[in-house]
Amino acid sequence: MRALWKFIWLIGVVLLPSVALEAQCVLSVEVEVKDADLKEPLPGSTIQFIELKKASFADKDGKFVFRGICPGSYTLKVSHEACEPIILHLHIKKDEKITVLLPHLQNHLKEVQVTGYSASKPAMNATTVKGKQLDAVKGSSLAEGIAGVTGVSLLQTGTNIYKPVIHGLHSNRVLILNNGIRQEGQQWGSEHAPEIDTYIADRLTVVKGAASLRYGADALGGVVLVEPKLLRVQPGVGGELNLGMFSNNRQMNVSGMIEGNSLKNPAFSWRLQGTFKRGGNARTPNYWLANSGVEEINFSAAAGWRGEKRGIEFFISQFNTRLAIFSGSHIGNVTDMFTAINSKEPPDFIRNVGFSYQIGRPYQAVSHQLLKIKAFQELKHQQRIQAIFSAQFNRREEFDVLRFQSSSRAPGLDLSILTLSQDIIWDHFGSNKIKGSVGMQTAYQHNYYQQRFFIPNYDAFQWGAFAIEKFNLNKLKIESGIRYDIRSFFNISDNSGQRTFTNRLYQGLSGNLNAIYSLGRGWELGALVSSAWRNPQINELFSDGLHHGAARLEKGQANLTVERSNAAQMHVAYRGEGWEIEAEAYYKNIQGFIFLRPTFPAQLTIRGAFPAFEFAQTNAILRGLDLTFRKQLSPHWQITTKGALLRAWDKNTEDWIIQMPADRAEFHVTYQVASSKKLKDAYVKAQVQHVWMQTRVPATGNIEIPLPNGGIQFASDYAPPPPAYTLVGLEMGGDYQLKNRSVTITLVVSNFMNTAYREYLNAFRYFSDDMGRNISLRLKWPFEFSTINKSKKQ
Amino acid sequence: MNVMKKSMMQMLLSTVLVAGLFTSCKKDDHDHDHDEEELITTLRVQLTNTATNATQTFTFRDTDGPGGNAPTVDSILIAPNATFTCAIQVLNESVTPAEDKTPEIVREANDHQFYFITTGTTLAVSNLNNDSRSLPFGLTSTWTTGAAGAPGTVRIALKHKPGQKAAGDPITKGETDIDVTFGVRVR
Repeated sequence: MRALWKFIWLIGVVLLPSVALEAQCVLSVEVEVKDADLKEPLPGSTIQFIELKKASFADKDGKFVFRGICPGSYTLKVSHEACEPIILHLHIKKDEKITVLLPHLQNHLKEVQVTGYSASKPAMNATTVKGKQLDAVKGSSLAEGIAGVTGVSLLQTGTNIYKPVIHGLHSNRVLILNNGIRQEGQQWGSEHAPEIDTYIADRLTVVKGAASLRYGADALGGVVLVEPKLLRVQPGVGGELNLGMFSNNRQMNVSGMIEGNSLKNPAFSWRLQGTFKRGGNARTPNYWLANSGVEEINFSAAAGWRGEKRGIEFFISQFNTRLAIFSGSHIGNVTDMFTAINSKEPPDFIRNVGFSYQIGRPYQAVSHQLLKIKAFQELKHQQRIQAIFSAQFNRREEFDVLRFQSSSRAPGLDLSILTLSQDIIWDHFGSNKIKGSVGMQTAYQHNYYQQRFFIPNYDAFQWGAFAIEKFNLNKLKIESGIRYDIRSFFNISDNSGQRTFTNRLYQGLSGNLNAIYSLGRGWELGALVSSAWRNPQINELFSDGLHHGAARLEKGQANLTVERSNAAQMHVAYRGEGWEIEAEAYYKNIQGFIFLRPTFPAQLTIRGAFPAFEFAQTNAILRGLDLTFRKQLSPHWQITTKGALLRAWDKNTEDWIIQMPADRAEFHVTYQVASSKKLKDAYVKAQVQHVWMQTRVPATGNIEIPLPNGGIQFASDYAPPPPAYTLVGLEMGGDYQLKNRSVTITLVVSNFMNTAYREYLNAFRYFSDDMGRNISLRLKWPFEFSTINKSKKQ
Repeated sequence: MNVMKKSMMQMLLSTVLVAGLFTSCKKDDHDHDHDEEELITTLRVQLTNTATNATQTFTFRDTDGPGGNAPTVDSILIAPNATFTCAIQVLNESVTPAEDKTPEIVREANDHQFYFITTGTTLAVSNLNNDSRSLPFGLTSTWTTGAAGAPGTVRIALKHKPGQKAAGDPITKGETDIDVTFGVRVR
């Protein structure tokens, strides 16, 4: 540890940039940064005058003007997250205007075009995690991967189940797109993590709010897009090996990818990818979390044929995981739960368990298969028709603690869901002024269960049609969409035929309008208004039974109506003079907001009283603010401050809404190390995150809390929210040149101070502390078998 | 590897189902795993009056398991100033014929313990039988009543403490297999 501090100190002192001396200098240099393939401006690019230690971000037109430059020779470095950085040598004698073309990282023309013109992703309100940022989170869960995006928080169940929360909404209200396909599993459960391998991703994009109607109206919280790299277009065979090691739970990840493009038949490309992950018990600062291991084996294959005018692509993937559920969270009834909460820490026989890779009961075993076939045909005048077919099969088995040695080994819960969907989309992108997509989607689902009843067997049918258009009117950019959906549940039954269920049919219209106006001088103003809806999901309507690993009963409400969100989002951004500022405010009025409400009294079972919850509806107002400030202090130093605030109000009961993320703020200092022959793009980043205590929770509720004096108090939760906490993190990374190959090395230390804390949105906060210090080392090793490519390299 | 194989089968199954989609959307009767999950639905308290040898049985029953229909609980009505031998029986009545779970508990007596807590009644529970390590088990016990009086309760809990059972364990230790409360009236 001491050596580490010394290292950081050395970097700080030795490399601290000296203050530049400025002479009588009057020249100006205007730098314009564009994408080399698309010729589109790249706002937010970093432009640095190395010798002058001057740096700035490009404005929304990809431009920045440096003033007061002395005549002379300079090194200019231009970089952008998604691109290879470029270094230019300039001799300046007079005012200059320079245009810099940045090549895209993958150098995949097609990929750039796809994101450039299709309506798959809104141009606005989207934040992407890619490049170095993604390298630092690869191999972690999907939700952890995007947790750095302002306004995103984590819904946790222990240390290995994470779900993304966008602006306070999650599960049924956040859509996850895996390679363009709506991820369909049992996503309603708060402890059902998305079945996605982050090693597949080339970028993770978060769209906050109902800004995209392309995939469904039900994304009231937002959309998370997991986008793999496009198939290889240069002839040859190459690949990438990823290794990840995590100190806390002694986790090891190995992920490999190999891809090729045929020289004889350049239209044909393929890729194979696989991941293996194994981690043992996690450790809090003071004790091991008994039974908290994880195991994952994933595999994917893709092949594509891309002609001049048409193409077809196949993708299959398989995700298999086993997730242990912390032993200390397994409680028998309400009394046990209070015993666990009152003792603050897990009992000794659980705390005294050491490290193990063993996954014991209770645990979850989940598998997810995806098959995707996508075909397109280019038409005249830059139009295109796409047809996408997908089949998904998700099986979730949840294994409870064995009651007797002789007990059956069968899972307590066993749910299977098959989803088939097809999309037909017409894209037009010929005009500079109007681009857009019009499409139709149909999907069929078949869900069935074995073992214990929790949600019924059912079939579901979904149909949706949408039109999304983007208008570019110089200073004003507008994106607008409209969508109509029909959703139904039918053939609903339980295995014993004891319960009766009636079919359900919902339909509705949704629409949005997103406008961004450029005020000039680096300022822009944006507004998004949207109206979107979501039908009650099967668990909200018909669930009835025992939740896994927890003595908790949930009951659906068959007469729930649709939930409609009318929302407005505004943002102000400034980019220039070394500053990047973004402030986003949102207001969501959700009518018929569906939530779980504790019922009174607790429900009697043979194992004692169980906390019981039922779904209910109210009218909710969610208001929030996401803030980001970034300042380039010098070519080497950058500081970033981020903050997210949320206020969630129940209009009917005139009280706060439970289970909403607390306010949080982050502060980062990044030092960009000067590139040398051996080491490129190296950086060191220190960060501090502070999460306030959630004080905005309902004042009273239906839960009876026994008091030490034998009395009873009514509360909205079993235990009050945990206190505020501050975490320190450290991250360093860079590309190390090894025999022509650039190996990316990333070292991340999370919870550096080994702070004992509990997060309000962690379901296990009642039972144990969160994870302690975790040091992870990631290596990315690209390889290339082909010889063809060498001659024309770069 | 078995999991992999299973998954491959599912993938295959999905593909077949894709083909079958437009021909049939009818709800089929899925083949259920006969290996069902463990369920305890019923606790029976059998009291034998040591003087008269008369037996009475009181039952807590929740045949559909947690959730769904509410359980039914008998009220214990017993004679004053008497001594009873209590024998507990645990059943799974969600299946036919009902399964007797008692032998399984007896087999794992060293990991299990019954607790009896009485309130507001003259009833006293003592003399719990021991497991093979001479720690209290409680499948059988002696119930002694005093004078007739107002109604009270008896809480009967079965705790599962794999490898943790020790002398003087409080009721809070271990996992709860059973925790039921009967109304008691000594009259």
